[in-house]
Amino acid sequence: MRYPQRMGRISVSGRKVLLATAAMLLVTTTVAACGDGQDDGAKASAPKAPAAIPELTKDPLTLSFIWFDWPPAHALEAFANAEYKKERPNATIKVNTVPNANWHDAMFTQFAARKTDFDIAILDSQHIGEAVTNGNILDITDFVKNNIDVKAYNPYLLAAYGQFPQAETGKRDENASLYGLPLLGDTWTMIYRKDLIGDKPPQTWDQMISVAERCQADNPGVSGLAFHQANGSDAAAVTYNTVNGVYGGNLWDAKTRKIEGVLNDAAGQEAMDVLVNKMKPLTAKGSGNWFIDEVNAAVAQGKACIAFNWIAASGGLLDPKQSTLGTTREQILDKLGFATLPSQKTNLVPLGGMGMHVSAYSSTANQAEALNFMKWFERADIQKKWAAAGGVPSRTDALESPEFLNAGPFNQVYTDSVPRMRDMWNVPEYARLVDIENTNVNAALNGAKKPKDALDDIAKEQQGVLDSSSRKGGGGL
Amino acid sequence: MSDPVPLRTDAVQVASATPPAPGRSRRLSDRGLAVAFISPALLLLLAMSVFPLLWALYLSFTDYSATRGGPAHFIGFGNYTAILKSAQVHQRALTTLIYVVGAVGLQTVLGFAIAYLISRRTHGRGLLTTLFLVPMMLSPVVVGLFWRFMLDAQFGVINSMLGSLGLGQVEWLTRQRTALISLIVVDTWQWTPFIMLIALAGLTAVPKYLYEAASIDRASEWFRFRTITLPLVWPLLLIAVLFRAIEAFRLFDLVYILTSGGPGVSTETLSFHVYKVAFLGFNTGTASAYGILMVLVVIVLTQLYLRYLNKLKEG
Repeated sequence: MRYPQRMGRISVSGRKVLLATAAMLLVTTTVAACGDGQDDGAKASAPKAPAAIPELTKDPLTLSFIWFDWPPAHALEAFANAEYKKERPNATIKVNTVPNANWHDAMFTQFAARKTDFDIAILDSQHIGEAVTNGNILDITDFVKNNIDVKAYNPYLLAAYGQFPQAETGKRDENASLYGLPLLGDTWTMIYRKDLIGDKPPQTWDQMISVAERCQADNPGVSGLAFHQANGSDAAAVTYNTVNGVYGGNLWDAKTRKIEGVLNDAAGQEAMDVLVNKMKPLTAKGSGNWFIDEVNAAVAQGKACIAFNWIAASGGLLDPKQSTLGTTREQILDKLGFATLPSQKTNLVPLGGMGMHVSAYSSTANQAEALNFMKWFERADIQKKWAAAGGVPSRTDALESPEFLNAGPFNQVYTDSVPRMRDMWNVPEYARLVDIENTNVNAALNGAKKPKDALDDIAKEQQGVLDSSSRKGGGGL
Repeated sequence: MSDPVPLRTDAVQVASATPPAPGRSRRLSDRGLAVAFISPALLLLLAMSVFPLLWALYLSFTDYSATRGGPAHFIGFGNYTAILKSAQVHQRALTTLIYVVGAVGLQTVLGFAIAYLISRRTHGRGLLTTLFLVPMMLSPVVVGLFWRFMLDAQFGVINSMLGSLGLGQVEWLTRQRTALISLIVVDTWQWTPFIMLIALAGLTAVPKYLYEAASIDRASEWFRFRTITLPLVWPLLLIAVLFRAIEAFRLFDLVYILTSGGPGVSTETLSFHVYKVAFLGFNTGTASAYGILMVLVVIVLTQLYLRYLNKLKEG
């Protein structure tokens, strides 16, 4: 009878002991969880990378990247393991990939934890501000001065993938700090059906629309246009920004941090009107959630007269296994043409691509290896090899080299587009600014909002984000 | 002749004097053993549930951002008032409400109807029940992905079928009304079996003699359903509805995969909005307050609902 009595209701003192134990465990957990919280404030700005590459380890080492899952990521891993290993046999390159929609979250949640499983973050050019102000990536200004031939690049390319605060479009501020180096250049190419609209691509935006309109009318089942409209990632936002640029609009006034009244001025309104009322009716029904893959699928299946897509994602269009346009690459190229974007009031094109940035939380040995890799990657001979392997280099000599220009029918488009590029904002608030723009442009494209209302809402909400730094509570709404 | 009784007593006395079995420490009492067994689970619960909840509660009163770092400044109820006043939050709350009412309502009607039909079958009940349960066993992400392909306006099988019937294409995921309806339909496809399962359990538990008595009284089928089946299954069905409503209230995965909240923000639910606040701007303080408010709403509504259930039981 002793046993059941002991296992019965716990006495008051017993309960106190249990409660005290639970409280102690909770406090211990809290202390453990907040263990390195004190040095958060100390890491408010980007730490500096050494000006010279420190001594490299001779032990086996894995240099990890993080990128989103697309062909260039796999090309980079294969290329780096084949070529970099020749110089550093003990180093293995691993490119970790995540779905495009999770790319920002995957990097910045690890940055938030102050621990990363990658050594080099491949950031979109617009992510730089957020990473720099949070102290997540190394300041490589001195390293670049000592190890990189900056004159070998178009200044804006070097600035776009590394400089913060952001450079003025087309320029680089030589006094500004650098936090990254170019990995993959990119811009939009116009893909057109030579067999449907002729060999000569339209030269102006208005001309492009009327050609697409005629092509759609003449070819039932084929839509005039295909472009990014989805509300994930930056899909719809890049589309609007491109049209905005072509029609002479501006995204903001960087000096005064003004968006309202700038984005939704007359040029901005005209761009939104062109996009929603002239371009959208020429797209396939239900294409309101299309992004890179869907546009490529429409082109490959012969369902679009003219399409716009990122050059780095266009390689698959020439694969006969993925296309109904021909059984060989040559047959496909008889039907598909690639051209720079038409101009209208300006000739601006969107800047795409990404840079390499060293994680501030990587080990010293891996940071040294990362710097060594970046120096190696930016060498003239390696940039040409990267071009031949399917990458888009950034050095001017590589961009003009036969290795690059002959590697793909769209590579000349990239080289010609470099002086015409314009980027979005690379401020710390980028993720929220692009989400506001994306959702509103998507709403306008899918009839959930009137174009003018959508543009005014973008300007108002984005201005609210930029002005909200002094607000007490509710940040992020 | 010796008396056997004292001998037996001696034997018992000898047995009780035997020391405890070796291998068991004398210091580890039964209570100590109990605590030792419970501690790992308790520690896990504290670390994975209680601590994050209390930590989120603390952060909800601050302007803390996980990526910006730096100290968390106390701002009182600033986050809470901003959330409660926000027109964006009101819009997401309305979307969530429509979704919860639509999805759970449809699932309840369909789930109960299927359970009622299955319960009347004598052959193949087990097989039918198992088949109906398959959608519930799939991951919501997988469900979202294949429905996304099926509902694609250009290449999807649904529009292809509509086309073969001579009907026009429907933009399932890119129009305001159809996108929300699509979400409700997909959720219903996956979770109707849950309601069906609970309802089936309730239907099976209805005593047969009640139906037999009703048959003797020549009661109609409708009368038996209205006065026997429904009242007896109703409390169990309401519990299933409660579970589904809580699940539907925090819907995230299907929205993320199927519509990304679009077109625009027309299918953004509260959970999806919290995700954006937490991970796009990394406004951890606001997101914590948002999450706490959602938990409070669920707790309050559940309490009211349970009271109603208890009254129903007492009645």
